[in-house]
Amino acid sequence: MPDGCISPECSSGVQWNHLLANSDQIPGHTWRSKDREEDPDHTEIPDPRTLTDDELKAALLHHGVKAGPIVGTTRAVYEKKLKKLLQPDESGKVNGAEKAVVYSDSEEEEEEEVEEEEQKADGEEEVEESVCTESEKQTAEQTDLAKQESSQAKLPYQNGSFPYLQCFMPSSRLHARPTSNRESKSKWNSRNAVKSSERSRSRCKEIPVGISRASSVDQHSGLGSGVPSGSQSVMSNGCSSFSSQAFSITQMVKEMESRSLISSSTDADRELNVSNVQEHRSQPIRLQIADRMKNQSVYYTPQDSPHKWGAQPPQEPMKDIIKEIFPETGTTPTGIHATRRRPIKGAAQRPVQYGYPATPVSPATLERREMERRRVPIRIQILVFLIMACILYFIYVNLEDICVVLLDSLNQGFDSEDGYSLQAETEDTQVVSGQD
Amino acid sequence: MSSTSQKHKDFVAEPMGEKTVMALAGIGEVLGKRLEEKGFDKAYVVLGQFLVLKKDEELFRDWLKDTCGANVKQQGDCYGCLKEWCDAFL
Repeated sequence: MPDGCISPECSSGVQWNHLLANSDQIPGHTWRSKDREEDPDHTEIPDPRTLTDDELKAALLHHGVKAGPIVGTTRAVYEKKLKKLLQPDESGKVNGAEKAVVYSDSEEEEEEEVEEEEQKADGEEEVEESVCTESEKQTAEQTDLAKQESSQAKLPYQNGSFPYLQCFMPSSRLHARPTSNRESKSKWNSRNAVKSSERSRSRCKEIPVGISRASSVDQHSGLGSGVPSGSQSVMSNGCSSFSSQAFSITQMVKEMESRSLISSSTDADRELNVSNVQEHRSQPIRLQIADRMKNQSVYYTPQDSPHKWGAQPPQEPMKDIIKEIFPETGTTPTGIHATRRRPIKGAAQRPVQYGYPATPVSPATLERREMERRRVPIRIQILVFLIMACILYFIYVNLEDICVVLLDSLNQGFDSEDGYSLQAETEDTQVVSGQD
Repeated sequence: MSSTSQKHKDFVAEPMGEKTVMALAGIGEVLGKRLEEKGFDKAYVVLGQFLVLKKDEELFRDWLKDTCGANVKQQGDCYGCLKEWCDAFL
């Protein structure tokens, strides 16, 4: 038997006869001699089913697979394996995807890197890669587009990786992106420090409030109903499923939509909103953040930023505003700040319907605190109960002596009046107790 | 990391003897019937197949999928069960 001679071109005559003989012995195998005869030149990849056991084993060995005995039950498996080996690229990815699917349930971050980078969209791949390089690209894009107002809202839609990477570029960025990035950050996996997460936390709290505020402002300004409705829906979603860090994709999308709607009506927004709120800037881009900055002053203890808002002239460049928003960040030469973010659950190619609170949610923490408050009293109650039980037990055991003591004290209290009767009673009780 | 089921523990605890195919971890009634129809009526027959495939995980999984239509989890359970049994008794 020729080893390694797989191609049908070699020793074709002998092979055909042998294969014919073999096919009779092996039931259930389709015989494709006609196909082979018709296309001997096209098929460089032989059909594993037409090979003999030894040839199949040799073929597998040729691909580096040490096959076991090829018997009736194992033949099908080895044929399949050989097919997979003869189509290396596609099958390899398929297997990787399957295995990734198997293990993706249990793990969060690492599996995506290993198996799914090739298969995921570009946006996700960029998330996996280092942020610095991506953010550099993003800065170049953004500086070019910084002056374009309408395109800002569209950018998040254009580039899938866009929203994720801009949190690390506060200096040269515009406001709208970091907010959207924060929301999306909370959804997608990346490795960032807790600092940025805290930052995002504080900001994310303000976003739904800011949206509500923006809606009210818009209503006053007489904008279209689409904006407030969308923003209100976002607010309701934010309030209902609100957690400091977890945002749903739906919220993020609605946020983007509301932002796009806001940015779309450029001139009208400018005039009306500026008239209503003095601190707002003329540009709608700043307006979005301006609403939120104002919300900070309205709903939360005023920080330095609101005061700075009024002090600064409206024509200040974006950098100051961004520095106000992120007062904690220092300045770096490249303006890139990479901070670790908390890992996000549920990002393994599964849409997250609602937020998974990895850390205690505020309502949950309140409940826990209440429980903890109650737990201590329960133990104290148990202790008190046990103490009372012991006291009662002692009283029950020493009832006689206690009665004597009590009655003697009563006798001392009552000198003349009822003294005799008490004494008589004590005598009676003593007699009774003595009898017992 | 998946923890082993009670079925797995029971199977691995002692020699399989004449146990049926349903005693294997991951093989329930439906899969067990399909295996029996194919001729694998006892657990040791499946063990035989497992050994003939040289205890190779991928091959055994593929075979199991082709023979009785087991899903990934069931394949894994059965493979792990047999592998551990072999480590203990073979």
